Amino acid sequence: MVEGLKPVYEGAEAYIYYADVFGRRFIVKHRISKPYRHPLFDKMFRYNRTRIEAKILSELYLSGVRVPAPIMVDLDSYIIVMEYIDGVKLLKVIEGLDDDKLCRYAEDIGRYTGRMHKLHIYHGDLTLGNILVTDRDEVYIIDFGLAGYSMDVEEYAIDIHLLRRSLNAIAPEKINIFMNCFWKGYSGEVPSKMLKDVRERVREIALRGRYVSERLRRKYLRDRYVE
Amino acid sequence: MPRIIVLGIESTSHTFGVGIVEYVDGDVRIIANEKDVYRPVKGGIHPREAALHHVNTSYIVLRRALDRAGVSIRDVNAVAVSLGPGLGPCLRVGASLARFLSSYYGKPLIPVNHAVAHVEIGKFLYKFDDPLVIYVSGGNTLIAIQRRGRYRILGETLDLPLGNLLDTFTRETGLAPPYVVDGKHAIDMCAEKGSKFIPLPYTVKGSDLSFSGLLTHALRRARELREGEGLGDICLSLRETAFNMLVEVAERSLVLTGKKQVLLVGGVAANKVLSRKLSVMASMHGAVYAGTPPEYAGDNGAMIAYTGLLGFLHGLTVEPEKAYVRQRWRIDEVDLPWLRG
Repeated sequence: MVEGLKPVYEGAEAYIYYADVFGRRFIVKHRISKPYRHPLFDKMFRYNRTRIEAKILSELYLSGVRVPAPIMVDLDSYIIVMEYIDGVKLLKVIEGLDDDKLCRYAEDIGRYTGRMHKLHIYHGDLTLGNILVTDRDEVYIIDFGLAGYSMDVEEYAIDIHLLRRSLNAIAPEKINIFMNCFWKGYSGEVPSKMLKDVRERVREIALRGRYVSERLRRKYLRDRYVE
Repeated sequence: MPRIIVLGIESTSHTFGVGIVEYVDGDVRIIANEKDVYRPVKGGIHPREAALHHVNTSYIVLRRALDRAGVSIRDVNAVAVSLGPGLGPCLRVGASLARFLSSYYGKPLIPVNHAVAHVEIGKFLYKFDDPLVIYVSGGNTLIAIQRRGRYRILGETLDLPLGNLLDTFTRETGLAPPYVVDGKHAIDMCAEKGSKFIPLPYTVKGSDLSFSGLLTHALRRARELREGEGLGDICLSLRETAFNMLVEVAERSLVLTGKKQVLLVGGVAANKVLSRKLSVMASMHGAVYAGTPPEYAGDNGAMIAYTGLLGFLHGLTVEPEKAYVRQRWRIDEVDLPWLRG
């Protein structure tokens, strides 16, 4: 299906192509083989990730989370065809955003993430590079290649931890305002018990990395970390 | 600019090292890099035994480094020391020696973060200015970039470091010690006898890694070998799984940041299989790849001396009485003036 075409984007694990049909543009996502992987591993991997991504995209799309609408899937060639979103990565524009706009985006991201988690779906790679914003200020979450189903609060917290860390790497001075607005949107979507569990786990995960001096003291300082 | 000579002391873990660098007219040369490594007869690193080893060899290594460089301690302009992260008893040996040299001979003392030093020596050797850094050793596994005066971590292990995973597996299965023979890790020698790929737990969370489940499962499969399976197959599968996890998160970070240089540093950088995988991955994205050569990949004094020189040129010094060791000093906690701007 994609032989001989030139990808418009070469991602970490898949190539993205445009397909223009009757004046509408679609995205073709093809998971590629990697020469550094064991061949057996490589096949297993691409098959599973394509299957889960397609399933999750359709469930989220039908639940009103802004994601690209899935059009078709071909598991034998590791291909998903989906809606084209005309937007830019938040990663590219975040530094130039004023606080109001940043807050609105963050709140939307929080809302979608909350709705996703309530459906027991985690994204698995929620970074600023996987969030698109459009001219009409709509926010889309993309790339569900690492997503999955889980009842475990750990997976939801990891999503938020990754988002936070990506902010820390790209725009460290905007973390506070972004996260405050994010939580505002998130708390509107999930039950309060779940909100509490997720927030607690996010704090715990941040203290889990290697050589975190706070880890030693966290028992005594826990109250201070409560925002 | 006159000649500046910086002596660096490394003692965070099994290696006691002394390196000396020379700076003349903007040119840096490593003029000595001597070390002595504590090798356990059985088991892993015993912190007290390693520290005793450092005490017993420190003055010999120091003497050797000065002789090799052809300088006297009085010619040295500053003393740099690795104050963490690492094993407390080991760190204290290096810190004590550095504090003594600094106060007795009146030399400025420069605190160096061990992880930063691994990165800086790699950048220096390959003239990289802004790489995606992959730091893998017995005590660390992380992916970082430099931004606004610090190294920022994009992904790291949530439990075991990669080097620790390989060491523990080979130790528990009786393949090690010795962990490394002729630059080859016990896991590689074992994997050469394997041919089958056995699916093992693969845990990537965004750009974070978790190796503990992989270790537990691999050890169980090694204890209860199935029909037609050998330990070699487990070694091969364990190594493939662990390395692929690391390469995957590195690739993810490379695409996210769009860096054009990929640098592998730390003790595990000496592993040729990992280095080859990363090199293939980097070239797929048009990035230049470099893996630190073994002499500077493992812990060494030269990297401390070089990073100490950078600190010295930016006026980063510490009073000897305030030069405490920090066992859990994260790479992303250190402000580095040369990364600003």
